[in-house]
Amino acid sequence: MAEVTLRRFELSDVDAMMAWASDPQVAAFCRWDPYESTEPLLAFIRDAVLPHPWFRAICLAGDGEDGRPVGAISVTPTGDPCRAELGYVLARAHWGKGVATDAVKRTVATVFGEVQGLERVEALVDVDNPASQRVAEKAGFRREGVLRRHYWHKGRARDMVMYSFISSDPLPE
Amino acid sequence: MKKEKQVDRPAATGPSAVNVTLRRFELSDVEAMMAWASDPQVAAFCRWDPYESTAPLLAYLRDTVLPHPWFRAICLPGDGENGRPVGAISVMPAGDPKRAELGYVLARAHWGKGVATAAVKRTVATVFSEVPGLERVEALVDVANPASQRVLEKAGFTREAVLRKYCFIKGKVKDRVMFSFIDTDPLVE
Repeated sequence: MAEVTLRRFELSDVDAMMAWASDPQVAAFCRWDPYESTEPLLAFIRDAVLPHPWFRAICLAGDGEDGRPVGAISVTPTGDPCRAELGYVLARAHWGKGVATDAVKRTVATVFGEVQGLERVEALVDVDNPASQRVAEKAGFRREGVLRRHYWHKGRARDMVMYSFISSDPLPE
Repeated sequence: MKKEKQVDRPAATGPSAVNVTLRRFELSDVEAMMAWASDPQVAAFCRWDPYESTAPLLAYLRDTVLPHPWFRAICLPGDGENGRPVGAISVMPAGDPKRAELGYVLARAHWGKGVATAAVKRTVATVFSEVPGLERVEALVDVANPASQRVLEKAGFTREAVLRKYCFIKGKVKDRVMFSFIDTDPLVE
């Protein structure tokens, strides 16, 4: 089972980030298009990641505290203080090893204590992305239902599966 | 004995289908609005507290309702085009041009007669052609409000999920039921 550490990003992480941010297969289910150069990615780190209330680099445990990130995980506030949205992304080289699942487990184990008033972390996953659905399920999220044509993604209306983890849910082993 | 021939009857959803008209609000509707806006039982499941005077309600009409992209007064037939509203129904853009949130409220004197259901049916029959690009209308209803859940079910909405601890209303974190009607769903007669 993979073990990860979560830490804050730094501008110097931009090259490691390019590994997944430039990958069309990674970007396929994400809101953004693959990055073609590091400049806009550096701007993204500076303007969106560093000031974000909860945005973490996923590092592999064996790489130590200053290990290169292999992905990112974030918990983003919504219009309601009790509810935030989970997002995660992982470089393709690390897919299928339980890395994302471990990152999500660590997140729900700590985020409720770190974000004032938070009661619900939700994740919207494309119906056609079963790998990501399994991450949420293995991390102890409850599948609540399918929201039809809920999200307009890269020119198409998508059905999304709604998952949630609430503050009183049991943490998975 | 000769059996009477069964006569075909058009489908009906209840004792008799209720007819409502939806029109734009005017400032002069404020008095009629007070009937439901001041009622604590009506306000119980809404985000707002009961109004105690017409002045803030007039401000709400002027600043929120009149400029709103889709906010309609629910009027009963017989009252004519300028009949007094007995409730309100609105479709609010939800951050995505394809998606909007439905809200409705009805004066207590008209509960239990199919008025809200008729208003919702009329809304989904027209709003997709009136709001360009709209594909999904969703409604979030308190788990403890079965009457409102039935309105949506009878109007042809799909119950998609119970969203646990979804929002913070009047000091409490509430579970909500998510319903939706998408533009390809069949309209209920």
